Amino acid sequence: MRIFNRLSKNKSNEESLEPNPQLEVGNKATKRLIYAFMTICALVILLPLVWLFFSSMKTQADLTVNTWGPPKEWVFSNYAKAWKGSKIDTYMLNSIYVTFLTIIITIVTTTPISFVLARYNFKAKKIIYYTIIAGMMIPIHSAIIPLYMMVGKWEMYNNLSVLGLIYGAFRISISIFILESFMSSIPKELEECAFIDGCSVWKLFMKIIVPLSKDGIVTIAVLSVLACWNELLVSMLMLNKPELKTLPIGLIGFITEFNSEYTQLAAGIMMAIIPSILFYIFAQENIEKGMIAGAVKG
Amino acid sequence: MNITKKNIWVILAFLVPGSLIYIYLVLYPIGQSVVLSTFKWDTLASSRFVGLDNYRSVFASQLFWKSMGNSLVFMVSTTLLQVIFGFTLGYMVYLQMRGYRFYKVVFFVPTVLPSVAVGFIWNYIYSPGMGLLKPFMAAIGQAENYIPPLSSPALALIAVIIAQTWNSCGVQVILFNSGFMNMPHEVIESATIDGASGIKMIYHMVIPLSWDIIKMVIILQTVGALRSFDLVYVMTGGGPNHSTELLPLHLFVNSFQNFNIGYGNVIAIIIFVMAMLLTMGMKKIMYKESIY
Repeated sequence: MRIFNRLSKNKSNEESLEPNPQLEVGNKATKRLIYAFMTICALVILLPLVWLFFSSMKTQADLTVNTWGPPKEWVFSNYAKAWKGSKIDTYMLNSIYVTFLTIIITIVTTTPISFVLARYNFKAKKIIYYTIIAGMMIPIHSAIIPLYMMVGKWEMYNNLSVLGLIYGAFRISISIFILESFMSSIPKELEECAFIDGCSVWKLFMKIIVPLSKDGIVTIAVLSVLACWNELLVSMLMLNKPELKTLPIGLIGFITEFNSEYTQLAAGIMMAIIPSILFYIFAQENIEKGMIAGAVKG
Repeated sequence: MNITKKNIWVILAFLVPGSLIYIYLVLYPIGQSVVLSTFKWDTLASSRFVGLDNYRSVFASQLFWKSMGNSLVFMVSTTLLQVIFGFTLGYMVYLQMRGYRFYKVVFFVPTVLPSVAVGFIWNYIYSPGMGLLKPFMAAIGQAENYIPPLSSPALALIAVIIAQTWNSCGVQVILFNSGFMNMPHEVIESATIDGASGIKMIYHMVIPLSWDIIKMVIILQTVGALRSFDLVYVMTGGGPNHSTELLPLHLFVNSFQNFNIGYGNVIAIIIFVMAMLLTMGMKKIMYKESIY
């Protein structure tokens, strides 16, 4: 699998601003039709978000009569009230902590395995690889009841680190799938030279393989962020103390609590989605790369 | 490189930590759920072996078959919708007309949002009080036909399917687009010279040339739909009258609200087996070497 080479090819292709010359849409009517369709789809996506934003800036009275339009007067107090009336800051910090821990666990456990699988030949290699990759198909629901009971036996409910460990474990399959193929595409000559120079395996790994796999590591980290930032089921089962809730479950409580005050509710939801949108803006290319690498086996 | 005696210990040290976590927290619980599915919990603390009793009660349960049906409808319709929209939009973006990057970025936005927020937004849209749907239907002259979709057993599942498609179609756009970008340029070019265009081009060139990615998207989407939990949980909680209860939610309700843990584990195994069978089965059915 040389997906990353292909990806970089895509990139250069995209970056040359010229369109695919062979596929230029000549017909003006067709062109208009395509634009119309894409614009409608884009509006269907953006309008609810714009509308949520507008709602968060309205007074309750304004919202009741003026459902669609922009606010008659822009009020920011909804944000202040939602921020004060909830623990959104705590939820976010908890989510950040769990996400951070997940990333570290994922990277620390999967880089060495991927390295060995990509670079060494040994008897059990295929079995190990496929056992790990098979995990990509396992829905977490199939393991959730025993996991829940196991954590109960340890008396470790309401422990953010345990949650991070579970998330990390469930990221192992896809991360190795991506990293192994990435590492396989690093030219072997480099490390042969290193070996001749008397470099140890550990040094080779730390000094050559890890730096050269930086892009792959970033990709698996980015995908892990998306997965555990939005995760609902496991965190719901593992955490019930209000001060330990992650953002998704905190948000559910928030929605129930502010149920009648739509404007403040909208402000709270806005605050909850802003980090995701910022993350998307910053990591857009890596997210796309990761999605493609995780899906395609070439 | 081959493993020499000298570095076999290093290799083991590289493999062991991650493997242990994987075995203990992923593989072991799966095996454990098979064991637990043969036990019955009389109280939370005491359980006894009951053999296949739990399986019998699952297969005899009407609610199980209902949620199985819901899951299948959900799976087929989200896959269809997302493949159609993903393919179309992915192809339109691939044509690289002016401004295509903007569209590509916008299409992906909902995918990164927390599903709790997405569920809320759609609940809000559908709600009779301040939602968008009611005024929208009034605007197209259908005001008298408006029923709050989430409280109607006939419409609730459709409403959730639409929300789910809105939420995750962006991934398919990206995947299809990357598949199209990898089609060999020379072939497309010579097809154009031979006069292929529009629908003909898509049917005879694009679909066969990107068959691998189409296959992949369908499999991923189907198996992914089997796991859908978040949106349904947030939007309807399975109601009204279990009309949106998908298998994962059925599992959740039975094991963590009714504490019928044996029953829940049977559902867990059914989900697992379905995921495996679907992946392998579809790979086999759609097996057709792509030209490149």
